[in-house]
Amino acid sequence: MLAYLIRRILLAVPILLGVVAVVVASLEIVPGDPVALMLGEFATPESIEATRTELGLDRPLVVRYVDYVAGVFQGDLGTSIKDRRPVATIIGETLPATAQLAAVAILVALAVGLPLGVASAARPHGVVDNAVRVLSLAGLSMPVFWTGLVFIVFFSVELGWFPVAGRGTWRHYVLPSVTLALPSIAILARMTRASLLEVLQEDYVRTARSKGVGSLQILYKHALRNALIPVVTALGLQLGQMLGGAVLTETVFSWPGLGRLTVFAIFNRDYLLVQGVVLVLATVYVTVNLLVDVSYGFLDPRVRYA
Amino acid sequence: MKRGITSLVAMIGILATTLVWAQSADELVIVRPSDPVSLDAQEETTAPGAWVFGNVIEPLITLNADMEIEGRLAERWEFVDDTRLRFYLREGIEFHDGTPFNAEAVKFTWDRSLFADPPGRWASLAGPIASVDVVDEYTVDIVAEKPYGPLLLTSTMVYTGVVSPAAVERLGEDYARNPVGTGPFKFVEWRTNESITLEANDDYWRGRPELDRVVFRTVPEAGARTLALQSGEADMLLKPNPADLASFESSEAFDVHAATGLRVFYLGFNLERAPLDEPLVRQAIAHAIDVPGIVENLLEDAATVPTSVISPGVLGYADMNLDERYPYDPDAAIALLEEAGFTQNDAGIMERDGEELTLQMLPAAGRYLQDQEVAEVIQEFLRQAGIQVELNVFEWATTFTELREDPLQYDMFSFGWLTTTADADYTMYSNFRSDQFPPESWNSWRYANDEVDELLTQAREETDVATREGLYADVQAILAEDLPAVPIYNTIEVTVVGADVEGFEPHPIEYNLDLYPVSKAE
Repeated sequence: MLAYLIRRILLAVPILLGVVAVVVASLEIVPGDPVALMLGEFATPESIEATRTELGLDRPLVVRYVDYVAGVFQGDLGTSIKDRRPVATIIGETLPATAQLAAVAILVALAVGLPLGVASAARPHGVVDNAVRVLSLAGLSMPVFWTGLVFIVFFSVELGWFPVAGRGTWRHYVLPSVTLALPSIAILARMTRASLLEVLQEDYVRTARSKGVGSLQILYKHALRNALIPVVTALGLQLGQMLGGAVLTETVFSWPGLGRLTVFAIFNRDYLLVQGVVLVLATVYVTVNLLVDVSYGFLDPRVRYA
Repeated sequence: MKRGITSLVAMIGILATTLVWAQSADELVIVRPSDPVSLDAQEETTAPGAWVFGNVIEPLITLNADMEIEGRLAERWEFVDDTRLRFYLREGIEFHDGTPFNAEAVKFTWDRSLFADPPGRWASLAGPIASVDVVDEYTVDIVAEKPYGPLLLTSTMVYTGVVSPAAVERLGEDYARNPVGTGPFKFVEWRTNESITLEANDDYWRGRPELDRVVFRTVPEAGARTLALQSGEADMLLKPNPADLASFESSEAFDVHAATGLRVFYLGFNLERAPLDEPLVRQAIAHAIDVPGIVENLLEDAATVPTSVISPGVLGYADMNLDERYPYDPDAAIALLEEAGFTQNDAGIMERDGEELTLQMLPAAGRYLQDQEVAEVIQEFLRQAGIQVELNVFEWATTFTELREDPLQYDMFSFGWLTTTADADYTMYSNFRSDQFPPESWNSWRYANDEVDELLTQAREETDVATREGLYADVQAILAEDLPAVPIYNTIEVTVVGADVEGFEPHPIEYNLDLYPVSKAE
C-alpha cells in the first residue's frame, strides 16, 4: 500500500511538469501583450520595454520554464503580472472560496443523488424511478449558467429568499451550490441506480434473500456498499468537473473563487497566474484520482494494490 | 458514519458563521463589473481603481460635475508666469494616518509618478512638466519646460491625488492595496474580486460625510448587477446594461442619472492602405452608415450622436455638425464610390480593376458599450453600399496589442478614446499628430497633416484659453474634411441608484465618482 502510494505520487510529478509545459507553450502562442495591456493606453514604448525586462519576460521561453519549475519546487509560483503580488498569495486567497463551494455542492449532490438512486433501484420503472430519470435528464441538459440565472430571478428577485450574488452568509451558498450540484445529482442518481441493479443480480444477494434477509437490509447492508465503487469513481470525476464548472457558476453568482480568477488571468494575459492556477487545479485532479483509487480498498477489501 | 455526520454539522457551522454581510442605512453598496488592478493612483489608470481611490485621496483642484474648476487641497492658484503654476494649499489638514498635509507631500506625490524609473502610468499625460518646487510649507509650484496649455486641467486629474508620504514609505509595495490620503473616506479592506470597503473620515476637513461606509462589490455578470440593484442588495449600479435602462427609468424605486461622457467611439480607417487612403472612399463609408440609427436602436439612446471627434464638455470642443455633413445616404455612398472608379458587379459588390472591395476590420469587442454589435451593424450597412467587410473579432488583449502594431494589419478598426483631462490636447495630440504613430502613441489611423501638426503644437504651448479653443476648432474643421475616422457614438455616463440615495451627481469624466455629498434616506 505504502509503496503503491509513493509510486503514484512520484508519477504525478512528470504529469504536472507536462501540464505546466503545455500551459507555458500555449500561452506563448496566444496573441496579446500582457505588459502593454497592463500599462494601458498611456504607456510609452520605453516604459513597456522597461517593465518587460523588470518582469523577466524578455528572456527565452525555455529559460522562463526552467526558472518557473525551479521556483515551484521551492514553493514560489512567481509574481502576477497584473497584480504584482505573489501568485501563491492570490491563489491562497481565492482557493478557499472555490473549495468551500465545491465541498457544499458535493455534499448536496451526495445527499440528494444517492437516496434518489437507491429509491430508483428499489422499484425499477416505478413512479419514483421514472420521475428521477426525467429529472436527471433535465439536470444534465440544462447549462449551469442558465439554471443559475433562472434561480436568481426566481429565488432572489421574486421571492427574496437568497442574495443575488457574492459570498458571505450561509444564504449565499444555497443557490450557487445547488446550481453546481445539479448535474452531479443527476449523474450520481443514475450511476447509483444502474450499479445497484447490477449488484442486486449477484449470487450473494440471492443467497441473502433466500436466507430470508429483509429487502431493505439487503439493499443498504449488502448491496449498496458494493455498488458504491463506480459511484466513487464518478464522484471523483464530478469533483474535477465542479472545479471546472465553477468558472461559469462563479461568474453568474459573482463568487470570488478560482474559476473567476482563471478567467480574469486569461483575459489579462497574466501568464504566471494562469500557470499557477492550472498547476493547482491539476494537482487537485491528480490528488482526487489518487484518493478515489485508494478508497476502492476500503469499499471492497478484495481490491489489492501492487 | 457518526464521524461523517459530525464533520457535516461542523462544516455547516463554519459556513454559517463566516462573515455576515448586513446592510445598514448608512452603508452604500455599489456594484460594478470589475476589480481594480491597484489602488495606487500612479499605477492604476482604469476606472474601477479611480472610483475607489478618488474618494480616499484628493487632488489640488478638481473639475466638478459642471466641468468647472474647484479647489480641493489648494485654496487658490495662479500662473506666476507662462511655465509656472502656483498652488496655495489649505492649512491644518491631516492624512488618514495622522501625518500633516503640506507642500512636501504634493512634491512627493508628483515626483513619485513623474520622475521615477520607470515613471508612473499617467506620466505621459503630464507632458513637459519639468519639476515640482516647494516654495514654502503651504505653497508649491508645478513647473513646465515651456508654456503648456493643458497644465491646469492636468492638475485636476484624479490620478494626481496627494498621497501620504509617510504611508508610502512605511508600506512600500503594500501601499498599492492600502491607499492613505486626505479624502472623505478612509480605506478599510480589499477582498480581491469580492469587495472593497471604505469608511467615513470623521476628521475630514469639509466635514464628515453622510455615509458611514461604502462597499464596492465586484459583480462581473451584467444581469446579476441589475438583479442586485432590483433586489435591494445594492444601492448604486455603475455601467448598467443599456437594455435595462428603460425598466429602471419607468420604476419609481430607482433614479437614473446621466451625464454626457467624454469618450467617443470611432470607426477608424488605416490611411496607409488603399483604397482607404482616398478621401472619396472614406466619405462614401461615412454616408453608408446610419449613425443616428445605431445610437437610437442598437444603443437604445444610452449614447449620443457625435458632432466632432471630441465630446462636448471637453475644452476646445467645436461643433462640426458631422451628423449633417455626412447624413445616412446609401445612394450618395454608391455615387461617391463610382466617382472613385468603382462599379457595382452582378453580385452587388463594388469592383475596381477586377478586384472586389473587401475590407479587413479589427473591431473592439467587449471593451466598450455594444462594441461588437456596432461593428456587425456597420458590416451590414457597408454591404448595402457594395463594400464587403470581414470582421476579425478577438478579445480585448489581442485587439489592444494588434492596434499598437506597426504597421497595422487591418483596413479598419473600432476604438473608443476618452479625453481623460477634459482638454482637447489630450486626444488631439496623441491621436492626430504625425509623430504619434503606434507604438509610440495612438495615431492608429496614421493621419499625417503638416498643418494639423503645427496647429496642435501652437495650441499646446498657448496658455490663453480662448486662443486655444480657436486653434482646436481649426483642427476639428480639417479633420471633419479629411475624415481619418467616423465618430459613431458619444458615451453617456449612466449611473442607476435606489430612490433612497440622495445627493449623487453624475460626472462626465468616467473616473470621477464623488461620494462625499451622497446620503441615504432613512
